[in-house]
Amino acid sequence: MESTNWIKLEFPSDTRNVAFARTALALFAAQLDWTLDELEDIKVAVSEAVSNSIIHGYQLQEGIVHVHASHSNQILKITIEDFGQGIADIEQATETGYSSIPEERMGLGFTFMYEYMDEVQVISEVNVGTKVTMFKRVGHPESHGTN
Amino acid sequence: MHYSFEIEGQALLATLEGELDLHTSPEFKEEIITIFETHPQIKYLIINVQGMSFIDSSGLGVILGRYRELQTRGGKLFFVQANPQIKRILQLSGFQKISEFANSANEVLERI
Repeated sequence: MESTNWIKLEFPSDTRNVAFARTALALFAAQLDWTLDELEDIKVAVSEAVSNSIIHGYQLQEGIVHVHASHSNQILKITIEDFGQGIADIEQATETGYSSIPEERMGLGFTFMYEYMDEVQVISEVNVGTKVTMFKRVGHPESHGTN
Repeated sequence: MHYSFEIEGQALLATLEGELDLHTSPEFKEEIITIFETHPQIKYLIINVQGMSFIDSSGLGVILGRYRELQTRGGKLFFVQANPQIKRILQLSGFQKISEFANSANEVLERI
């Protein structure tokens, strides 16, 4: 039986850390047996979640983003948490094409997370913060091809 | 992230290399907007993404903004040499409906 492994990262809401987070998480995820496409999928999902924390959670102001990742029994779990302004209406925020700043954003962040990961959970409270937890299983049939 | 621009008549050729995300997209956005503003004849945007290793919704948002400008000019958007991963995210985000894929910039220039 494979052992569980985990990592924990904390970094300021500096946009340079979006690339750092997705690269670090991809390196950690690579301990499991993914295809190259699946590793790219994980990078996109992490990039979107961390970008959301910086843009929406902290409104590009100072804040700390917490990332926790673990894997056990071929399942990768990634949690990205901010302590920013939170989401008032999660259903609306996760709709494809919805953005609170539509002139700048495509409203596809959550769409990519849902598409590229097997399961996404969002917990948020206004003025408390947002926690996004994503799961992806190695060899999951939905994890492979395009639609 | 590295990018370069070349103007061929009514076409703007943009070559993107590296990663286009929340950190790298603002500078690219500023430059490409300036080029559009200073070259009102531009109707076609041809983006060579052969050297692009990563793009997410932040980068795609910048390209969508230029597509909207092309629409007002009656123009078109083209992606050249997209690898399968980039093609997949472009398809998932709806770009296959509003743009065309091509093998080379010359192929596009002959077509337009």
